[in-house]
Amino acid sequence: MSGESNRAGPCAWLLLAPLLAWLAAFVVAPTAILVVYAFCQHDELGRVVYQFTFDNFARAADRVYLVIFARSIGYAALTTALCLAAGFPAAWHIARAPADRRRHLLLLVMIPFWTSFLIRTYAWMTILKQDGLLNGLLRAAGLIPAPLELLYTPGAVTLGLVYTYLPFMILPIYASAEKLDGALLEAAQDLGAGPWRIFPTVVFPLAWPGIAAGLLLVFVPAIGMFAVTDLMGGGRIPLIGNVIQNQFTQARDWPFGAALGVVFLALFAAAFAVLRRARPAVP
Amino acid sequence: MRLPALAALLLAAAAPAAARDQLNLFAWSEYVPQKVIDGFTAETGTEVNYETFSSNEEMISKLVAGHGDYDLVQPSDYAAEALIKAGLLAPLDPAQLRNRDNLDPAFRHLPHDPAERYTVPYMAGTVGLCINTAVVTAPVTGYADVFQPRFAGRIVVLNDNREIVSWALATLGLPPNQITPQTLAQVRPVIARWVKLVKVFDSDSPKTALLNGDVDLGVVWSGEAAILWKQDHKYRYVLPREGAHQYIDCLAIPVGAPHPAAAHRFIDYLLRPEVSKLISDEFPYTNPNAAARKLLSPEQLSNPASYPPAGKLETFRDIGRLASAVDQLMTDIKSGQ
Repeated sequence: MSGESNRAGPCAWLLLAPLLAWLAAFVVAPTAILVVYAFCQHDELGRVVYQFTFDNFARAADRVYLVIFARSIGYAALTTALCLAAGFPAAWHIARAPADRRRHLLLLVMIPFWTSFLIRTYAWMTILKQDGLLNGLLRAAGLIPAPLELLYTPGAVTLGLVYTYLPFMILPIYASAEKLDGALLEAAQDLGAGPWRIFPTVVFPLAWPGIAAGLLLVFVPAIGMFAVTDLMGGGRIPLIGNVIQNQFTQARDWPFGAALGVVFLALFAAAFAVLRRARPAVP
Repeated sequence: MRLPALAALLLAAAAPAAARDQLNLFAWSEYVPQKVIDGFTAETGTEVNYETFSSNEEMISKLVAGHGDYDLVQPSDYAAEALIKAGLLAPLDPAQLRNRDNLDPAFRHLPHDPAERYTVPYMAGTVGLCINTAVVTAPVTGYADVFQPRFAGRIVVLNDNREIVSWALATLGLPPNQITPQTLAQVRPVIARWVKLVKVFDSDSPKTALLNGDVDLGVVWSGEAAILWKQDHKYRYVLPREGAHQYIDCLAIPVGAPHPAAAHRFIDYLLRPEVSKLISDEFPYTNPNAAARKLLSPEQLSNPASYPPAGKLETFRDIGRLASAVDQLMTDIKSGQ
């Protein structure tokens, strides 16, 4: 920080106004509504009754929902780990590729976004179903005697989640890796460090901002996802996203849905705080 | 000179629009054929704005939020009952609904609206068993036949908690609407056993898993089974012997609807046999209109999913706050397996 005054003038506030208005209307207000609803009751038609209660949170602390929270975190953590394992080498390779090849490779990462997420998920179902492409291929090659059970399994859910969120890991890591000065790697090599030494001490700390962003961008949406569990998991194993969705539809219990949402929000805040502190020190 | 000319032009353009009557229809998606709407507009000059919903709960929450200005809504039986209880539906004017007599007597004076003051049936359907007879050769006639260990991992059911609870009640010989904390405790072990056997829970398109060969039998909407049967007669639809849920989707006018006269005209138009037939041509549900049924082809009438042989049918009644308890029970069972 410089010693000069950094106080914003009226002109700066004017420039900021659209952003502040946007944040107030689409972040602060909805969150405030969520928090208020979480402490309310509901009537037969599912209308929110503005009468204070703590019941929704007491119910959210029930073992049933704690198990579901834990399972959702487990799936999201597994998804994030697999995305990192697959995404880091890919991002690194793209960042180190010659300029025009890099453009093509990046395009390949983005192309799936041109198609609706639901259509891509249905495409996966076509591949994984019992009479699907994968089973057909394996059977034609004589590798399996009977079709494998692929769709509507926990494995299918994990695959769907990793597939959906992988680009959100690759892109931020790519942005960090691309800025990384190659001379630093050469310097480390000249000083006698092998690849096993360079990775944890040079590459990882320098790419950390991208990795941290990738971890958040994958973990946070993965934990609330409900469409993949319904479509590829057959709706058998409820995750927290499914439970919240049900409160706003079948159960007509918005306040309880809001309370689960607030718990969820607190979890994100905690995850964010942990990641901010976890920044590795550059030796 | 130019300005008055422009004003005249604007007036001329605005006049027919203002004179044109409007109707704001809030109905299920994939339920009212465009041909029917166009026919109404051509005949009456009334412009129809068709907004869709995909669940009763979605419709109720939008209606109670009061932002819709809807003239005509399409609740199912139990949702209509809840709306009537809450005073959100306007009484109908029988004088403007002369075609109501076309309805089959079985679809008149229904339990959710015994005096027929608020609702007119649109289409009906059932929830029943759909069996791929190419794979399952043993007779399957009830819920108890479906949920057997030998069909483990080969079953699809609706992802609808109230439905599943009502099936379990039926196997215990209890009425499907008798939902109390006691009966929920009774069905719990039954459902816990069933849930372990189910491969797919899907309300939106349960036919997909059957069609893909991922499951061999299940409990699905009759409309889905009707589509499967049309594609391949190996998919058989059977009403469960323990009793089946019949849903009746109705037409109703909300309190404060801006165009109640147009809404009445549209209801009466839909009740005409030739118009009602057009709906059945496109969507193979059970048509409650007896006069329209006479116009259907033998092929249409022989579809067992659209017109199942007589069985024990019961509609759902509003269970109010207990919907929440049903949801908790099912979440708990599914999560604990």
